[in-house]
Amino acid sequence: MTGIEAVGSRSRINATAAVRAYLATCGIVLLLMMLLGLTMRLAQAQWIDVEPNLFYVVMTMHGAGMVGIAGLGGAAVMWHFVRRYVPVSTAIFVANLVFFLIGAALILGAGFIGGFAGAWTFLYPLPGHSGGLWSANGAAAYMAGLLVIGVGFLLLHLDIARGIISIYGGLGAGLGVKQAFGFAPEKDGPPPAVAAATMAAISNVIGIVVGAVVLILSLVNLYAPSFTFNTLAAKNLIYYFGHTFINVTIYMAVIAVYEILPVYTHRAWKTNRVFYLAWVLSTLMVLTVYPHHLLMDFAMPTSILVAGQIISWLSGLPVLLVTAFGALTNVYRSGLKWDAAAGLVFMGVAGWAIGIIPAVADGTIPVNSVMHNTQWVPGHFHTYLLLGMMAMMLGFMTYLAGPKSPSHLAPAGVWLYLIGGTTFVLAFLAAGSASVPRRYAVHLPAWLAYDRAGSIGASLAVAGALILIVRFLVSLRSPIDATP
Amino acid sequence: MIQDVVWDVSIALMGSLAAVFAGVAAGAEVPLTNYGPAIASAYRLRTWLFALAVVVLVGVNYRALGALPYIANPAEQLGLAVKRADASGQQWSWTVQPNSFVVGQTVEFYVTSKDVNHGFGLYDPHMHLVAQTQAMPGFTNVLRYTFTEAGTYQVLCLEYCGLGHHLMNTQINVAAH
Repeated sequence: MTGIEAVGSRSRINATAAVRAYLATCGIVLLLMMLLGLTMRLAQAQWIDVEPNLFYVVMTMHGAGMVGIAGLGGAAVMWHFVRRYVPVSTAIFVANLVFFLIGAALILGAGFIGGFAGAWTFLYPLPGHSGGLWSANGAAAYMAGLLVIGVGFLLLHLDIARGIISIYGGLGAGLGVKQAFGFAPEKDGPPPAVAAATMAAISNVIGIVVGAVVLILSLVNLYAPSFTFNTLAAKNLIYYFGHTFINVTIYMAVIAVYEILPVYTHRAWKTNRVFYLAWVLSTLMVLTVYPHHLLMDFAMPTSILVAGQIISWLSGLPVLLVTAFGALTNVYRSGLKWDAAAGLVFMGVAGWAIGIIPAVADGTIPVNSVMHNTQWVPGHFHTYLLLGMMAMMLGFMTYLAGPKSPSHLAPAGVWLYLIGGTTFVLAFLAAGSASVPRRYAVHLPAWLAYDRAGSIGASLAVAGALILIVRFLVSLRSPIDATP
Repeated sequence: MIQDVVWDVSIALMGSLAAVFAGVAAGAEVPLTNYGPAIASAYRLRTWLFALAVVVLVGVNYRALGALPYIANPAEQLGLAVKRADASGQQWSWTVQPNSFVVGQTVEFYVTSKDVNHGFGLYDPHMHLVAQTQAMPGFTNVLRYTFTEAGTYQVLCLEYCGLGHHLMNTQINVAAH
C-alpha cells in the first residue's frame, strides 16, 4: 500500500463528494456575489436606487465574498488534482470548508446585520472609525470571520505541504528547484500540480500568518482604542496578506489548465527547466511584489517602491511566456474537440495573460499617479479573476459535471460569460482611463455611460455563470462514480 | 494625457493577445500530423519574445523611473520659490490652505489625515486626474504639482474611507494671472 492509499483509506469521507461540496458552495456563493456586483453597477448607472450606506455594505461583502470564494474554488481544483500525487487528508479538506462557512456566516452577519462597510481590505484604522454607522462588534465579527477562514486555509496548506514533503523530501523539491537550476534531470521533476501546490503552500502560509497579525492588532484596537499602531506598517501587512492570498487563488486554479487541457489535446503538459524556473521565480515574486499597492504612499522608502514596480513587470513574464505559451502550444492544432469545459479552461489562461497587461501598466509609478484607485484597478483585476481564475474554476466545475449532464445550454453559458465579462471589464478600464474613481456609491452624470455598459456586460456574465453553475448543480444527482 | 496612451497601448496589446488565443482556438480542431517542427519553431519564437520582453521591460522601467513623483527634499528645505499648501483629510471633508493659485505656479501640497486613510486626488477642470498621493494619519506626504491651466480644480478622495467617501471633495481655484 502506498502512502497515498494509506491516507485515503483512513478517511471515511468520500474525496470526490468533498470536492463536489466545495464546488456547490463556490457556485452558489459566486452567483450571489456576482449579483451583489451587478447591484453596485446598476446603482452607479442610476438604473436602481441603492442608498450609499447599503452600497458600501454590498461592496464590502462582494469583495470579501469573491476573494473567499476564489480561494475556496482554487483550493478545490488544487486538492482534487494534487491528491493524485501526494497523500492528503480529506478530513482537513472538509474542515477547511467548515471553517469557511463559519467565517462566511460571521462576515455576512457583520455586513447585513452589523452594517460593517469597511471594505474587504479593512484598512486600519477605518474599522474603528465608522462615523457611528457600524459598531465595534460588527467590525470585530468581520475580522473574526476572516481569521476563521484563514485558520482553515492554513490547515489545508500545511496538510498539503506535509504530503509533498513526505513524497518529495522537501518543499524545494516539490517546487522543482533543482530542475530549475540544472542540478537534477528535468524528467525527475514534480508534476505541474505539485509545483503549483508547493508554491501555493509556501506563499499562503506566510501571507495568512501576516494577515492574522494585522487582524489581531486591529481587533485589539477596536476594543482598546488607546492601543494604536503605525498606519503605514498596517497597510504593508494588509496588502502583503491580501495580495498574496488573491494571487495564490490563480496559481491554485491554473492546475485545472495543466490537468484538463492535456485530456482534450492528448499532449502531456511539457515540464522542463524553464517551467520550473518560472514557478520558483513566481513564488519569490508573489511574496515580494506587494509594494506596487503602495506606490502612492510617498512615505514608503523609494527603493521599496521602485522594487515594487520592477518586480511587477518581471512577474508578468512567467505567466505570459510559460503558462500562456504552454497552453497555446498544447492546444495548437491538437485535434481537440471543443466543449464547455475545455473552452472555459482555455479562456481562463487567456483572461489571466491578458489581464497582466493593464495590471503591469498600473504597476508603473508615473501611470499609478494618475490611475491608482480609479476604475482601471477593478478593470484589470476583474480581467484576470473573472475571465481568468473564475473561468478556470468554472471549467473545472463543468469538467467534473461530465458529458452526461445536460450540455446543450453549456456553450451558450460560455459565450455569455465571455462576451458579458469582456464588456464588463472593458467598461471598467475605459472608465479608469477617464479618471472615474473606484468605490464610489454615487457617480457623476458624465460617468454613467461606462456604468451602463458595465451593467449590461455584468448582466450577461451573470446569466452565463447561472447556466454553468445550474448545470453543475444538476449533475450532482448523478452517482459519484460518474465523475471524471 | 498618460491615461490615453496607457489605454491605447493596453487595448492594442490585449487585443493582439486575445487574437492569438482566438486564432489558436479556431484552428485547434484540425490536427497537425507533424507536431515536432511546429513546437521547435514555437520555442524559437518564445526565445525571441523573451528577448523583446526584456528590451521593453528595461526601456520602459528606465524611462518610468526617471519620472518619479517622490520628493527627496521639499522645496522649502532647498529655499526654492515653490508655494506651500497644507491639505488635511477628515471623514468626510478636505481642508486645503491656501486653495487659490495661478497658472504656472508650482505648489507643494503637504498632505495628511486626521483620522483614517484618504486619497488626495487632484482633478483638473476637465475632471481628469492629474496627480495624487495618500493622506495618512501620522504621516505627511508631499505632492508637487505645477498648474498649467486656469479654472476650478477639484480634490476627490481616492482611498475608501467610509460611508461619505464619495462626498469628500473640495475645490481649488487657479487664476490665469
